[in-house]
Amino acid sequence: MSIRFEKVDHLYSPNTPFAFQALTDVSLELSEGKITAVIGATGSGKTTLVQHLNGLLLPSSGSVIVGEQTIKAGEKLKNTKQLRKEVGLVFQFAEYQLFEETVLKDVAFGPQNFGVDELTATETAKAALKTVGISEEDYEKSPLELSGGQKRRVAIAGILAMQPKVLVLDEPTAGLDPQGAKSMMDLFRRLNREQKITVIIVTHNMEHVLEYCDEVVILEKGRLIFHDSAREFFEHPQFMERARIDAPNIIRFREMCRQKGLELSPDILTVQQLAREIAKRRKKR
Amino acid sequence: MNNITLGKYIPLDSPIHRLDPRAKIVAMFALMICIFIPTGFYGYAVIGALLVICCIAAKLKVSYVLRSFKPMLVMMLFLSVVNAFFIKTGEPIFTIKSFTLYSGAITQTLYIVIRLMLMIVITTLLTATTKPLDMTLGIEDLLSPLQKLHFPTHDVAMMISLALRFIPQLLEEAERIIKAQASRGVDMENGSLKEKIRAILSLIVPLFVSCFQKADDLADAMEARGYVVGAKRVRYKQLKFRFGDVMTIVLVNVLLAGFITAAIWMGKNNAL
Repeated sequence: MSIRFEKVDHLYSPNTPFAFQALTDVSLELSEGKITAVIGATGSGKTTLVQHLNGLLLPSSGSVIVGEQTIKAGEKLKNTKQLRKEVGLVFQFAEYQLFEETVLKDVAFGPQNFGVDELTATETAKAALKTVGISEEDYEKSPLELSGGQKRRVAIAGILAMQPKVLVLDEPTAGLDPQGAKSMMDLFRRLNREQKITVIIVTHNMEHVLEYCDEVVILEKGRLIFHDSAREFFEHPQFMERARIDAPNIIRFREMCRQKGLELSPDILTVQQLAREIAKRRKKR
Repeated sequence: MNNITLGKYIPLDSPIHRLDPRAKIVAMFALMICIFIPTGFYGYAVIGALLVICCIAAKLKVSYVLRSFKPMLVMMLFLSVVNAFFIKTGEPIFTIKSFTLYSGAITQTLYIVIRLMLMIVITTLLTATTKPLDMTLGIEDLLSPLQKLHFPTHDVAMMISLALRFIPQLLEEAERIIKAQASRGVDMENGSLKEKIRAILSLIVPLFVSCFQKADDLADAMEARGYVVGAKRVRYKQLKFRFGDVMTIVLVNVLLAGFITAAIWMGKNNAL
């Protein structure tokens, strides 16, 4: 599904003393079948941007085109349900949305809202729970009994059970331990590769961007300042500075080497590759 | 969620905003009492004029004040209908079949509606120009004589300020959960009764869970910083009466005295 923003503005609480322009003139086309990172400082409009993708927020001016549907400013959304089914949006701290008595029921809640019967919904729920790595003995537990990381997995399963074509995640690894965060990111990559789901991730973690993402979108004070491949992004450290983001260790290391007169290839993205390269160069000497 | 007018502070800088919260609360009470003293439409005209001046001084927009009437609209409508049927004083105005509308019904209804509107404006004026925390400080100070009777004024004030502090956060949280559930296909507006109940449950359960969690966390955080229920505390923000505050209190008391005198005089001369 193609996603396109055309000159989108978004204004919160218009005509009040609290009015706030969160997005200004954003034009953008997100690539299908890729993993795209949306980054930017706090308050730069990342969350506002992604909430336009499934019609939770409507543009104040301009239009958002998602697949067949066009969301125009000032027009009511025609097929909201279809849009929300196709674009699954996982909120920040998604574990707070769990409410059913059991894990399985909660995950089956989404598909049932889209008119799937209970039996089929339970089946898709089971499949989704398996994908996110929740074991069968937890299916009948109350969601509140689970640990924080597990709760978040259940919440993500709740969205996956709707079988979306696009998965949008707002800071999915916030508050998780590094191990949990890594397996979460692995999950998104698997979904992207195996089920061909377009993944859009709002994140502050550049190590994750480096390791998992294909493309990068940077927002600054509600304006789009960069949209290109992740590789191109890491070639331009000034954007990281502008977005007040620390570069990943490996990129910083590469920059330091460059300053000392040692050029390393931009293809080197992991510690293993770096170690191999250093070993190779030493042999040459 | 963001268009709840009643009881929302509007951050502006005006003479009314700068008044001491205690003076404003006392003034509000005095004006409320004035409204309930029977002086007829003349009295309401005086209060109305005073309130208009205050609203202008407080730089409140007309649309904002008008919006605060909205929640009461249904009640006002209900009142007018009931009054039209049950009040049978004054001159009959017109008759449709067995129903006759009397002039008494109209004046009575108008009287009550104006009274309600004036009360709404007064409370809006207070809440729109006073920070919730200043308000609780004011309430605490005004209740302090009750401490002699071992009434825990400080604890009550703390409870009020904590409750107030969480209102915007809860609204935000509710909005977030509504959005999260909407992303899962919940439709809060349409659908059968069963679907609607489930939709509301999907909002209320997470909201309750997070409320309890927040309350727990806050209690721990307060204890960690040495808060003990009932212990004596000093205060960071000291309220001070200034000339304007004293003048406000004097003014509303003069007004109150005036209203009482007028009511007695009118009662004697049957002018009402």
